[in-house]
Amino acid sequence: MEFGWTAEQDEFRERVRAALDELLPADWDEVYVPQSYASDLQVEFSRTFCAGLAERGLLVPHWPKQYGGNDADDWQHFVLGEEMKAAGEPRGPQYMNVNWIGPAIMRYGSDAQRREHLLGISSGKIIWCQGFSEPGAGTDLASLKTRAENRGDHYLVNGSKIWTSYARKADRCFLLARTGAGRKEISVFLLPMSTPGISVTSFPGLIKDGHLNEVFFSDVKVPVSARLGEEGAGWKIITYALSYERVGVTRYHAGLEALNIAIGKLKKQSRFDDPVMQSRAGMIAAKFEAARLLTYRVVDLRVHRIADTAEANLCRIASLDAVEDLMDFLVQYVPDCLTGGDALLEDYYRINIPAGITGGTNELQLDLVARRALGMPGRT
Amino acid sequence: MNFQLTEEQSALVAAVQQILQDHADLPQSARAASHWFNETLQALLAENGYLNVGREFGALEAALVVIEAAKMPVLTEVAATALIAPQLLGEESLEGPVAILNGRDLSRAHRNLPIARHALIDLGDDVALLPIEAENVETVPSILAYPFGRFRRPPDLRAARRLRCQAGALRHWWRVALSAESAGAAQAAVAFTLNHVKQRHVFGHPVAVFQSVQHRMVQCHMVATALYYLALRAAWSGKVYDADVAACYAQQHIKKLVVDLHQFSGAMGVTNEFALHLWTYRLRALQTEAGGMVECALDIARHR
Repeated sequence: MEFGWTAEQDEFRERVRAALDELLPADWDEVYVPQSYASDLQVEFSRTFCAGLAERGLLVPHWPKQYGGNDADDWQHFVLGEEMKAAGEPRGPQYMNVNWIGPAIMRYGSDAQRREHLLGISSGKIIWCQGFSEPGAGTDLASLKTRAENRGDHYLVNGSKIWTSYARKADRCFLLARTGAGRKEISVFLLPMSTPGISVTSFPGLIKDGHLNEVFFSDVKVPVSARLGEEGAGWKIITYALSYERVGVTRYHAGLEALNIAIGKLKKQSRFDDPVMQSRAGMIAAKFEAARLLTYRVVDLRVHRIADTAEANLCRIASLDAVEDLMDFLVQYVPDCLTGGDALLEDYYRINIPAGITGGTNELQLDLVARRALGMPGRT
Repeated sequence: MNFQLTEEQSALVAAVQQILQDHADLPQSARAASHWFNETLQALLAENGYLNVGREFGALEAALVVIEAAKMPVLTEVAATALIAPQLLGEESLEGPVAILNGRDLSRAHRNLPIARHALIDLGDDVALLPIEAENVETVPSILAYPFGRFRRPPDLRAARRLRCQAGALRHWWRVALSAESAGAAQAAVAFTLNHVKQRHVFGHPVAVFQSVQHRMVQCHMVATALYYLALRAAWSGKVYDADVAACYAQQHIKKLVVDLHQFSGAMGVTNEFALHLWTYRLRALQTEAGGMVECALDIARHR
């Protein structure tokens, strides 16, 4: 058992930090980060930034060499994610590409799809959006109604998606659509957002601009060759893909960073000598450290090729607990963070408003751990 | 980073589990007791070298033994003897059981004092190493699941050996030890309650079928799992911050563990015959030690 980083992992982290220093503009913290990683500004910037990462071999180091990677282990992939998250996720939406869209295409895609998409992702210039949620189907994805009707040589897609982050700027959509009457008769399609019949509208909300979009599909013709895997295999594919997303979000890192920013601000104002405030900050840090170790454990299981029963779900539950405490701390002790007083903390707060909902609600995570890890019975 | 035990560590854990399991049961006469200290098992652990692993192998290995011992319904004193004392005394061994005392209030009842051969007393800067005279200790009855006792007359600290400037190290390793002990007790309490809610039927269903129970059980499982790794990281690194984090996390979640696990055990959980209290009321006893949650949290904040 070993809780430290190897020299090689430390060296890799330094390489990532050096790349961040080189690639981020001088006004990154002041201008870009406060706009959120889903903003048009950051989404567009990600094309330059990720291309720069790709040139340095730091965009998809964990991918196989044949697809532009370096066969690096899961820990390197994870260190990369930690550093990106701590820097405000300058990869923008492309974290999805490298974490789970690419791996899903590698596993389930045809040779033509791999050729078409993987080199695009590993070059860092392609923006994807995730066409999953609908007004009536969020966590309960199997209820989705967007339909892809098989017309022989193509599918005809009709329906709508909502909460589709980055959709305004996306080049492609990883779309889930119903291809049969059965609850889980769902398929995945990889389609250009420029396909005729697709339109996007945005609407305001509590979280920052760029996340809240609705995408409409009106008689969209999609070739059969754009289907990922077999017809009806969508459930299996997204289960695989989301298992990567669940551990892909290193919330503890951003949380500890935000806590440090808040503490720094309070110290400057000579307010951090209040022991009540200090103890609350300490307790929050302890919770984030717990989330960190539970997250590391998931990566460790992956490295050792040990089946993950529900450990990824458990680390999300732990992270959320800490995130909610920190949000409360911010409102209580740095109240001007939501009224223009601190753009970074406002961004942290607002991006985390749906933290218990995105990627499967907290209740779903709890259900999955109860069932898979604790062997508790389902409802009869 | 590697969360898997090495072959040697796995062998150590398996071996200590074997000896603990062979002596896990409470005797009939102790079924209604708040705790039961197994003197025979304590001696066996010492004879077989398990209380010396901190010296022979390191703090991480000692913490693994502490965790396994804390899972048992019968009580042994491992944390102070095997984990804390070697950090203060180096190669010198100390006859256990050892009690850890806060010197600011020696008149109160102290955990493990009735069974202790020695006490390590936090005097602020120094540590006093005090041999315990059994006739100077009176047992204090308590629902807390450790033997508690107080001195009949104040101990003569002038006669005790002084470990100069070691109090900081004592508090540091006390926090590591209480985290490890809490991790083992929490894991055992969760496993015990999980078994109960799967067996016990209410309204025609096992208690475990209800989502309100499932979600809180998962949260307790999460706490126990996180605590296991936090405690082991603190033992591995020897860093003060890691010890503060582990102890703070343990102490801020003990309320949840005690309240939820007893809640799901219903009225059975308030009887001593139902073994849950052997772990939950160990946790309660550990909740305020080494400064308690707030002191730990303040120390974490000072690091930031």
